[in-house]
Amino acid sequence: MSDPVLSGVRVLEVGGGISVAFAAKWLAGFGADVVRVDPEEEMLTADEQVYLLAGKRRAGPEADAARLALAADIVIEGDDPGDVVKHLRRVQPEALRAAKPEIVVVSITPYGQDGPYAGYDATNITSFAMGGIMSLTGMPQREPLVTGGSQALYLGGLNGFGAALTAYLGRLVHGEGDWVDISLQECMAGMLELYGPGGAISGVPSVRSGNHVRAAWGIYPCADGFAGVCALERQISALFECVGDPELQEPRFRDITLRAENDDELQAKFYGWFAERTKQEILDLGAKYKVPFGAVMTPLDLLANQSLLERGFFDAIQTPGGTAMTPGRPFLGLPWVPGELHAPGADTRAVLDDWLGVRA
Amino acid sequence: MKKLPLEGIRVADLTMMWAGPFATRILAEMGAEVIKIESPRAWDNIRTLIPQPGVEEPWNSSFYFNDYNRDKKSLTLDLAQEPGKQTFLRLVAKCDVVIENYRADVLDNLGLGYEVLREARPDIILVSMAGYGKTGPERDQVGFGPIIEQMSGLASLTGYGDDGIPMKTGLSYGDPVAGKAAAAAVALALIQRRKTGEGAFIDLAQREVMSTLIGEAFVAASLRGEEPKHRGNRDDRYFAQGVYRVAGEDQWLAVTLRTPGQWNDLAHHFGLDPDLGGLEGAALLDEVDRRLGEWLKDKDPQWALEALAGRAIPAGRVLNTVDIHNDPHLEAREFWVELPHPRMPAWKQPRSAWNLREAMAAPRRHAPLFGEHNDEILRGLLGLTGEELAALAAAEVISGAPVNPGIG
Repeated sequence: MSDPVLSGVRVLEVGGGISVAFAAKWLAGFGADVVRVDPEEEMLTADEQVYLLAGKRRAGPEADAARLALAADIVIEGDDPGDVVKHLRRVQPEALRAAKPEIVVVSITPYGQDGPYAGYDATNITSFAMGGIMSLTGMPQREPLVTGGSQALYLGGLNGFGAALTAYLGRLVHGEGDWVDISLQECMAGMLELYGPGGAISGVPSVRSGNHVRAAWGIYPCADGFAGVCALERQISALFECVGDPELQEPRFRDITLRAENDDELQAKFYGWFAERTKQEILDLGAKYKVPFGAVMTPLDLLANQSLLERGFFDAIQTPGGTAMTPGRPFLGLPWVPGELHAPGADTRAVLDDWLGVRA
Repeated sequence: MKKLPLEGIRVADLTMMWAGPFATRILAEMGAEVIKIESPRAWDNIRTLIPQPGVEEPWNSSFYFNDYNRDKKSLTLDLAQEPGKQTFLRLVAKCDVVIENYRADVLDNLGLGYEVLREARPDIILVSMAGYGKTGPERDQVGFGPIIEQMSGLASLTGYGDDGIPMKTGLSYGDPVAGKAAAAAVALALIQRRKTGEGAFIDLAQREVMSTLIGEAFVAASLRGEEPKHRGNRDDRYFAQGVYRVAGEDQWLAVTLRTPGQWNDLAHHFGLDPDLGGLEGAALLDEVDRRLGEWLKDKDPQWALEALAGRAIPAGRVLNTVDIHNDPHLEAREFWVELPHPRMPAWKQPRSAWNLREAMAAPRRHAPLFGEHNDEILRGLLGLTGEELAALAAAEVISGAPVNPGIG
C-alpha cells in the first residue's frame, strides 16, 4: 500500500467542539499530521474524545495557536466570529491568509462569519432547528424532534472536511489557498431534499410526517424491533409481490393516484405484514425481491454486522476502559491509518519542536 | 479573478436520485465540468418523482431535478447498447472522474467496471456509492436514504423517549450525507493523483458514512454494551433543553439553558418565577419546560430568538421550509440564489455550504434540459461526425427526450 494521501500535510485544529474535531479526524485518518490545541476546558464527552481525537497529536491550551497556524497547511478552527470577540480568537483567519497565501483556513461556526446572527450562541439543537430539518422531523401532532446524536455539529465537520480538501487541492493546482466559511445553518438549509425547493416555490411549508411519508415509505414495528421500507413507484410491483396479499393487485392499490387515497388501508396491511417477521427475514426478502427494505439497527447490532466486519469498517482504539470499536474510514480505496489516543497536552513539546523548531 | 478549486476537472456523472447528484452539484459549484449522463430509456427518476399532470415535457420542469442538477451538462447515452458503451468509454478517456450511485452490481453488469474504465483512462478516478458498498454480504441490497438511516444505527438513537418508538429524520438523510462524503472523496483522490499520478477506485458505502456521524454511540456500545436511549429534545450535557410552541401556525423555538445561571438570568430578565424549589432530575426539567412553554406560547418567534440571543442564551427557530427562505440571516449572507430556467419560474436555490470567501463559488447556470449538451459533447469534445450522431439517434442511444416518459 502506498503512503497515505495526506502524509506530510500539517493540520492545526483549534476550537474544541465536535465540528472541528470531526473535520480534522478524517484528515488525520488519511495521513495528515493533525495537532489539536486542547481547549482550556474540554468540551467533548469521554466517548466523543475516544472517537474524535484518536490519531491526533495534542498540544496544551498554553501552546501559541497563532504561531502554530503559520506553520500549518490547513487550519480548522471554530472560535466565535465577529469583531467584538476578535481579541479572544486564537487564530486570525484574515491575517493568516495575508501572511501565507498557500494556507487553507476552514472556520466552522453555527451561523458563519458574518450576518446578523453571526455572534449568536448556539448548540446542536438550536442549529438543527435553524437549518430546517427539524421542522420535518417528528410526529405531526407533537413538537418537532431533534435527530439523535449531534447531527448539526457532525454535519459541520463533514462539510469542513470536504471543503478543506477541495481548497487544499485548489492550492496545489492553482497555488493559493482560501478561507472557507462553514455555517452549520447553511450545511442543513442546502440539503432539504424536495421539501426545500418545494417550499420556496409553493409558499406552503411541508409538514412533519412522523415515521410514514406514505405506506410504502416508512418504519413499522416488526417481530423483533422495527423495520422499514422505501419503495419508489418502479419498485411497487416487487414490493406487492413480496408481501403477497392478493388484494394488493387490485386497482385501488396498483394505481398511483388511487393508492394515495387508500394509504391508510395499505399502511394497516403493512403493519400486519411487518409484525409477523423479524428484521433479518425482512432484509433477506429485500435482497431476494430487490425491494428497499431496512431494519432499525443499533450500534450493538452493527458491531456484529458481517458486512461491516468483512469490509473492515471499524477501528480499534485502546482506551483506559478497554478497546473501543469505532467507525473507521468513511470509504475504501485510499490508505487509512487508525490512530491512537493521546493524553491532553501530551505532545506540546514535540509539536513545538517539529513545527516551529523550538527546543524546550 | 481567483480560480475555483476544481477548474479544469471533468466529471462523467452517472448518478441518479439524490445522493449522487448532490455530490456532483457540489463538484460543479466548486468549478468542475460535470457531464450528467442518462439513458433515454433509464433516466434519472427524480425528473418525474413528483407527478405534474398536464405539463409539457415534465422531465424538464421538475423543481426537484432542477434544484439538484444545476451547473451540470446533460448528455444522453444508452449504456446498455454497444455504441453507447463505446461512446461512453471515449468520453471517459477525456474525464478525470467517473461517479455512480447504482446498486453495487449494475456498473459491472454493464461491462463498465473499474478495470474497463482504466483501459480507457489509466489514471481515472471511479467513485462508487452503493448503499452498502461493492463488497460484503449486504452488497445486493437496495438502499435509499431513509433505509440507510435505519441500517446505520442513527434511527435507533432518535425518538421522543416516552413511547419506545425510533423515529426517522424528516428527509432522506442518508443521501446528502453520503453525497458530501463522495464530493470530499473526489478531492482526496485528485490530491493523490497529483502526488502519485495514480487514479483510484473509491468504494463508498452510504450506510458506513452515515454511521460515522454517530461515532460516540459505537464507543458506548463497544466499551459498556450500552443500548440507545431516546432523549427526545433533551441533552444531558446541559441544565435544560427543549422545543416550545410560539405564536403562529406550527411555530416552535428550540432553547438550550447551558447552566442554572442561564435559567436564573432568563427568569429574572423576562419575569418568570426563577424558584425551582427542591426539584431535581426529570421533575425539574418538566417544570422548566412548563414555565418556558407558558412564557413563550404567545411570543413572536423572531422576537423570542433575538431576545434570548440578547441574553447570550442559545435559541433557534424551528424554521419551516418556507420561513427558511425568508430568514434575514441567510438573506444577508446571500445564501439563496435565483437562477433563470427556461421551463420554470426562478426560485430560491441554496449555494453550497462550502463558502469559499475568496474564490466565491456560487451557482452559475440552471439545470440542463434533457440531452441539451449532446451535440456540444459528442461533436465538440469527442469529434463525432454528423453521420455518427444520426446513427446514434436512430438507434435511440441518444435522444433529446425520454423514450419512455413515465412515472419515477
